[in-house]
Amino acid sequence: METRVHITGAGVVSAVGCGQGETLDALRRGASGIAPVRFLQTEEKAFPVGEVKLSNAEMAERCGVLSDLSRTSLMGILALQEALEQAGLRNLAGIPLIGGTTVGGMDLTERTFPSYSPLHDCGASTDAIATHFGGAPWATTLSTACSSAANAVIFGANLIRSGQADIVAVGGSESLSDFHLHGFGSLMILDTAPCRPFDATRAGLNLGEGAAFLILESEASRKRRGAASLAVLSGFGNACDAFHQTASSENGEGAFLAMRKALQMAGLRPGDIDYVNAHGTGTPNNDASESAALRRIFGDAMPPVSSTKAFTGHTTSASGSIEAVFCLLALREGFIPANLNWMAADPACIVPTAGGPASLKHILCNAFGFGGNDSSFLFSKSDA
Amino acid sequence: MLTIKQFASIPGGTDLTALYRATVGDYPKFFKMDTACKLGFLLTEQLADEPRFTPREDRAVLMFSTCGSLCNDRHYEETVLDFPSPSLFVYTLPNIITGEIAIRNKYEGETSAFVLERFAPETFVALVEEAFQDRVTQSAVCGWVDVRADDGFTAFAFLVERNGPGKAFNVQNLYGTVNQ
Amino acid sequence: MEQLINEIKLKLIDALNLDGMTPEDIDDNAPLFGDEGLGLDSIDVLELIVLLERNYGIRLANPQEGKKVFQSVAVMADYVASNRKK
Repeated sequence: METRVHITGAGVVSAVGCGQGETLDALRRGASGIAPVRFLQTEEKAFPVGEVKLSNAEMAERCGVLSDLSRTSLMGILALQEALEQAGLRNLAGIPLIGGTTVGGMDLTERTFPSYSPLHDCGASTDAIATHFGGAPWATTLSTACSSAANAVIFGANLIRSGQADIVAVGGSESLSDFHLHGFGSLMILDTAPCRPFDATRAGLNLGEGAAFLILESEASRKRRGAASLAVLSGFGNACDAFHQTASSENGEGAFLAMRKALQMAGLRPGDIDYVNAHGTGTPNNDASESAALRRIFGDAMPPVSSTKAFTGHTTSASGSIEAVFCLLALREGFIPANLNWMAADPACIVPTAGGPASLKHILCNAFGFGGNDSSFLFSKSDA
Repeated sequence: MLTIKQFASIPGGTDLTALYRATVGDYPKFFKMDTACKLGFLLTEQLADEPRFTPREDRAVLMFSTCGSLCNDRHYEETVLDFPSPSLFVYTLPNIITGEIAIRNKYEGETSAFVLERFAPETFVALVEEAFQDRVTQSAVCGWVDVRADDGFTAFAFLVERNGPGKAFNVQNLYGTVNQ
Repeated sequence: MEQLINEIKLKLIDALNLDGMTPEDIDDNAPLFGDEGLGLDSIDVLELIVLLERNYGIRLANPQEGKKVFQSVAVMADYVASNRKK
C-alpha cells in the first residue's frame, strides 16, 4: 500500500541566509556565502568556509533558547521552526523526528576536550531539537556522512509510503568543527580558494554548515489538515558505489544506480527531468565521477545541472536536506540556481548551467556520502 | 516474510589478525581498517554465499551499534593535536563499515548504519524489515558491531533473505540465535 | 644512505599498517604503488605526506607531488636526503 508523499513545510539555515526568504534572495543574486573562518574557534585558517552568519548566542536568542545547546542543534531548531510554521503545525506532537548529523555536539566538546560534553553525540543533538518543540513521539538520527539528511528524507518517506506514519519531520544539521576541518584537510580535498564545481581548474571543496528540515505528509493527512502541498517526493533511491571509503568510482556506479532507482520509482524517464541539483562538491574526483553517472543516465539529452555548493560550501550531513529546500524554491519560483564560479569546461565533466528562469516540473537532487553511500531524490510539482 | 539464511559471531576479545590469517589471508586492506570495520569484514566473510564478488544491487547492508566509530574517533582525535592522520580520519564515520563490506563483496544495494542507545531487538528487526520496502532488495547483511575498545567489542551478524527456507527473522528467533 | 633507507622502510611499515612486513621484504627500487608494488592507494599517499612532514620537516603541497616522490623507497630516500629540514 503506497501513498503519495507531499512536502508541506520546509525550513533552511545556511551560509546564504536564515530562512527561505533570505536564501531565495541570495540564490537570485548569485551571492555566495563562502568566506574566511569567522565563528569557528580553530587554528586552521587556510581554507574558506560556508558559515551561517550568526553566532550561537544570536541563534539561541532567535530560538528563544536559554540553555547552552550545540550549534548543530541550534541551527536544526531554527530550520525546523520555519518548516513547522509553513506546515501550520505548532509542535512535534504526533510527528516523529528523523535527523541527520555526523558532528552532533562536537563543537561543545571541542571547548571542553579531553572531557566530552554530555550533548556530544549525534542522538543528543536530535533529541535536543525534539525537546525544544515539546517532544516527538520518537526521534532518531541517521549518520551516513554526506548523505545523512538525504537518507533521513528517504527513511521518512518510506514510513509514509508503508502506512506506518502519516506525517514526519525529516532533515539534517551540521556545524563546522575543528575535528572535521582538520580531517578533510588531511585528505587534501579542501580548496584554499572558493570552490568551482565542474570547472577544469577545480581543486577541492569548501566545508560549510547549516540545517534544513522538511515536513513530509501523506495525501490523507494533508487533506485532513487542509495543508498546502509544496511538492511531491515522487521518487528516491540509495545505492552503494562499493569502490573506496572516501573516493568515488570512475564510472559513478553508485550515483548512477541511485538516480536510476529514483526515476524508476517515480515512473519517469530521463527526458522528464527539468533540472538536476548535483552533489558537485568541486573536488576533481566527485565532479568527474558524478558527470560520468549523469552521462550514463541522460546521454546526449542532459538537462540543466548545477551544484549550489559554491553558495553554501559542502554542508556535509545536512547537504541533502538543504539542497532539497533549494529544489523546492526552484520548483515554486520557476528558477534554477546558478553553478557559481564555473569558467572553463573539463571534458571529463558536464557543463553546468548558469541558471535563471525555467519551467520546472520534475527536479532530481543528489547527495553522496563517504562509504559510497549514494542517494538521489526526485521532487515533482504537486499537480504534475 | 524474512528468513535467516546464515548467522555469524565473533567473541569479544578475539585476536582479529589471527582470525583474518586463518580464514582469509588475501586482503591486505584489512590491516588499514579500524576495529569496527575489521569485525564487519570478518563477519561478512563467514556469512558469504555464492556467487561471490559479482556486483549486485539486490543485497542491502545494515549495521547497528551504540557507539559507531567512537573508538577510532578517539585515536584520530589524538593526532589532530599535531599531524591529523588521513588514514584514521577515513574511519571516523559510523557507516564506513558498510562501505568496506560493500567494497569487498561488491554489494551495490542500500547501505545504512544505525546508532542505538542499547541493543534493541525490536528496533533491529523493524529497521531491517523497512529496508525490504525497496522492491529491489532481496537479501541483507545486518549486524551488531559495538566497539567500546579495540579489545572490548560485541559482534554478530545475520544474512537475511525474502521467503527463504530458514527460520523466520523475528525478535524471538533473534534472541534464540544470538544466545546460543 | 643505507641507514636512511632502512629507517624509511620501518616508518613506512608502521605508518601504513603493513602488518607482518619487515624491511627485508621491501625492495629498495620496487614501485610502491600499483599491482606489482606494495599496492598502496590514495590514502596511503596522504599518510606518506604526513610522514615526510612529521619526521623530516618536508611539506609537499598536494598528492600529485607525492606520487612523484613516492615512486620507490630509493627515490624517497634521495628526496629526503636532499630536502630534509630535520
